[in-house]
Amino acid sequence: MARYGMVIDTRKCVGCYACRVSCQMQNELPVEESYIKFYEKETGVFPNVKNEIIPVQCQHCEDAPCVSVCPTKATYTTKEGIVLVDADKCIGCKYCMVACHYGARTQDHNTGVVEKCRFCAELVAEGKQPACVSTCISNARIFGDLDDPNSEVSKAIVKMNAQPLRPDLGKAKIYYVR
Amino acid sequence: MVDTKLSRRGFIKASAATAALASAGTVGFNEWFKEYVKAGSNAEIKEIPSTCNACSSKCGMIGHVKNGRLWKLTGHPDHPYSKGKLCARGHGYATVVYSKDRLTQPLKRVGEKKFEPITWEQAYEEISGKLNEIIKEHGPQAVALTEDPRASGKFYSPRFINALGSSNYFTHHVVCSNSRDAGFMHTVGVSSTSADISNAKYIMFIGRSYGDGIRPSSVQSLAAAKDNGAKIIIVDPRLNNTGNLATEWLAIRPGTDLALVLAMSQVLIKENLHDTEFIKNYTVGFDEYAKELKKYTPEWAEKITGIPADSITRIAIDMGKAKPKALIEQSWRGAFGCNYENSTETGRAVAMFNALLGNYQQKGGSIFGTKPHLGNLDEGKHANPKDPDAPKAGKKEFPLAYHSHGVATMVAKEALEGKMKAAIYYHSNAALGYGNPKVMKEALSKMDLVVAIDVQMSETARLAHYVLPEVTYIERDEVIEGLSGKIPGIALRQQMVDKVHPETKPIHEIYTELAKVCGVGQYFNFSLDELNEAMLAPTSITYKQLREKGTIMFPNDEIKLGEVPKLKTPTGKVEFCSETYKEAGFNPIVEWIEPKVSPADDSFRLITGKQAIHSHTQTANIPILMQITKDYDLERIWINPARAKALGIKDGDLVELKSSEATSKIRVKVTERIHPEAIFVPSHYGITSKDLKTGYGVGFGYMEHVPFDFEKWSGAGNIHEVIVKVRKVKG
Ligand code: SF4
Ligand code: SF4
Ligand code: SF4
Repeated sequence: MARYGMVIDTRKCVGCYACRVSCQMQNELPVEESYIKFYEKETGVFPNVKNEIIPVQCQHCEDAPCVSVCPTKATYTTKEGIVLVDADKCIGCKYCMVACHYGARTQDHNTGVVEKCRFCAELVAEGKQPACVSTCISNARIFGDLDDPNSEVSKAIVKMNAQPLRPDLGKAKIYYVR
Repeated sequence: MVDTKLSRRGFIKASAATAALASAGTVGFNEWFKEYVKAGSNAEIKEIPSTCNACSSKCGMIGHVKNGRLWKLTGHPDHPYSKGKLCARGHGYATVVYSKDRLTQPLKRVGEKKFEPITWEQAYEEISGKLNEIIKEHGPQAVALTEDPRASGKFYSPRFINALGSSNYFTHHVVCSNSRDAGFMHTVGVSSTSADISNAKYIMFIGRSYGDGIRPSSVQSLAAAKDNGAKIIIVDPRLNNTGNLATEWLAIRPGTDLALVLAMSQVLIKENLHDTEFIKNYTVGFDEYAKELKKYTPEWAEKITGIPADSITRIAIDMGKAKPKALIEQSWRGAFGCNYENSTETGRAVAMFNALLGNYQQKGGSIFGTKPHLGNLDEGKHANPKDPDAPKAGKKEFPLAYHSHGVATMVAKEALEGKMKAAIYYHSNAALGYGNPKVMKEALSKMDLVVAIDVQMSETARLAHYVLPEVTYIERDEVIEGLSGKIPGIALRQQMVDKVHPETKPIHEIYTELAKVCGVGQYFNFSLDELNEAMLAPTSITYKQLREKGTIMFPNDEIKLGEVPKLKTPTGKVEFCSETYKEAGFNPIVEWIEPKVSPADDSFRLITGKQAIHSHTQTANIPILMQITKDYDLERIWINPARAKALGIKDGDLVELKSSEATSKIRVKVTERIHPEAIFVPSHYGITSKDLKTGYGVGFGYMEHVPFDFEKWSGAGNIHEVIVKVRKVKG
């Protein structure tokens, strides 16, 4: 059984938002709703400056707090470790939004359903890459099976010593290179 | 945007089914997916290869059409610009097909800002009547056509204007690459080379940012080069978004790139790191050039550019050692730090620097691409219009300008002088984007006939007498696009969805029908399919195959690296000394030229550039892209913290920005990423057409602040020769 995860190499991310828009199209999201948020971190003083762009989406936490707080079990974790939301069970109570450390969840204003990055479950099931990964113009995103040491994603994690964004907040399935 | 509720139904149904599974225990993918497929089985999804229209690159893409509606796009894996990826603009701009602000029928202006719908027949009759009248009275040179060239336009637009007897065909490059094109043209014989980025060991970008003015494959190559340990230097007054991929940022004083390149060239020669073999075989005028160059020392350049002489020397030496896998990238818009009075000279200096490195047609260097061999219409049956006798407007004033693109703002200049009487603008928002909008507006109002062909009511369309509504690029077939590069290829833009508005037409139809009414229909006596078949004839590819694949490359015609072809300059060689320049009244040897204006202690230079999510002004009305601007305050101007502090300005404050031409109010982003002398304003905002409801009123257009001016060499707009003052105002 695969256990899916992703690497985001912020040293390569140019903040182009292609991942955001392709995700919105893939998931047919309203214009104002996006699963990926961007944070910028500028350090140094002119002309010795660095700027880091950090795309953040659902980290597909192990022991995800959003799963444990969800009163209707609308949010659940698949065997492959993907955290999904069942739209029919979601009552829009937003507990999960509060529980999420990463601000990764958004509410669809049309349906009231709270959603978030779904690791493009249906694409992945077809053996394809998530939309944000396949469109990333700088190949800053790598997706695959964390349990397979030979997968590109596992090798990248080892080679680049990728770490969760906030290891102090528990284990996540997105690893960052910074 | 895609109709959310309707098209999401499949997914929601699948969720309902998986919910049952979920309550029975953990759901696996396979079970979940089976249900998903079942639920979505009535959704018919077609994949249609085509090409993008969100910027000038025209990347290959694949449209995924669900139940007849465009659902999403993916990058075409075979197309050399997309290599399987699309940028945000590419994904988002396609939603223009469902825009509420689209033009749906031909319009005629009947008052100051009043339009009334008319039939195509009436539009054609009246436009042709006026065109013929103007031509009869003032000659065909009183008529001009300007476009942002895409596949069909590139074929039909010049043919149409030539059929009318006029040579006045222009492109938007006057505010894009005119300077670079001229500088390169007269040095290496082509208006642009391409860069073999993935194999390069040392890459310098001047005012060009792959991460902002995106072509997806370029960014992929740059990321690969970085993985391979290449040195990547960004020369820019602001730390642009490619900064993450760079080894070093040279925060140059705006407008002084030329001094940097001259000094680096001087170092190369002084240190004997230039490629003497290449220079002997493939160049002329080196000795005179080398002699002139002696005065441009790194110490001299340090004073002008603000970049330490040591850095200049170090980088030049390292590039010399890495040659021929070292290059200054050919840049794009405005050539090297954009349009300054010295930009054509900068273009020339860069082309020469690359020659010193001997990197032409070398692995990891600058490449002269090759074109595919495509066929033509049978001239016996489909005569070409004859070449007009009179030269293109601006040819006399700007003999060095790249002829095919021309100097589009000459149309406005001649209109103000009463010489130009009619202008057609296709896929071009000249009134807002080509020069000072006040001047452009006045120029357009002076003409007897202005026709705009567009998909939305642009500023130019609002000033036109007639507005002709085109279908979007999602709803039309186009002329085959030849792709030149290391490997040549072809790509086809084809229709993905049915026409949304029945009264809109594709451009080839508009030209063909209008030509007939104008009395020059004999030059358009073929269908688009016939034209494309004729183009394909010499290849072994059928139209059907091309339709299925969308992009086809010809790897057998790959160019051989290491062999420098005969150049298209008068001498057939790289010209360190140019007779053409001399004849045009310029210095035949490259020289330092001051920018036209310079900021004082209390003022700034206004500079502009792209953001990854927008292109020209056409994307400003696309909600899915404009939302990003809103979410991240991207319309703000950038100011350096030291300067901001002195002016009492904090991040997010509202300021007034004042130039000789205009005053704007805008909020600021205070950032260390910009040179203290400059204010950066992203170039896509300031929509003034109220019909474009999403873009209207967001940010301001920097063109408002740009004097209506021509760079002396190439005729390019001097977009960066603008001084502004900034003061805090109450929000
Ligand atoms: S990132 Fe937030 S929404 Fe995603 S699994 Fe973790 S807690 Fe849940
Ligand atoms: S994995 Fe899919 S759902 Fe998640 S951010 Fe990427 S595109 Fe969006
Ligand atoms: S597509 Fe890639 S480079 Fe662009 S913002 Fe997303 S992660 Fe960054």
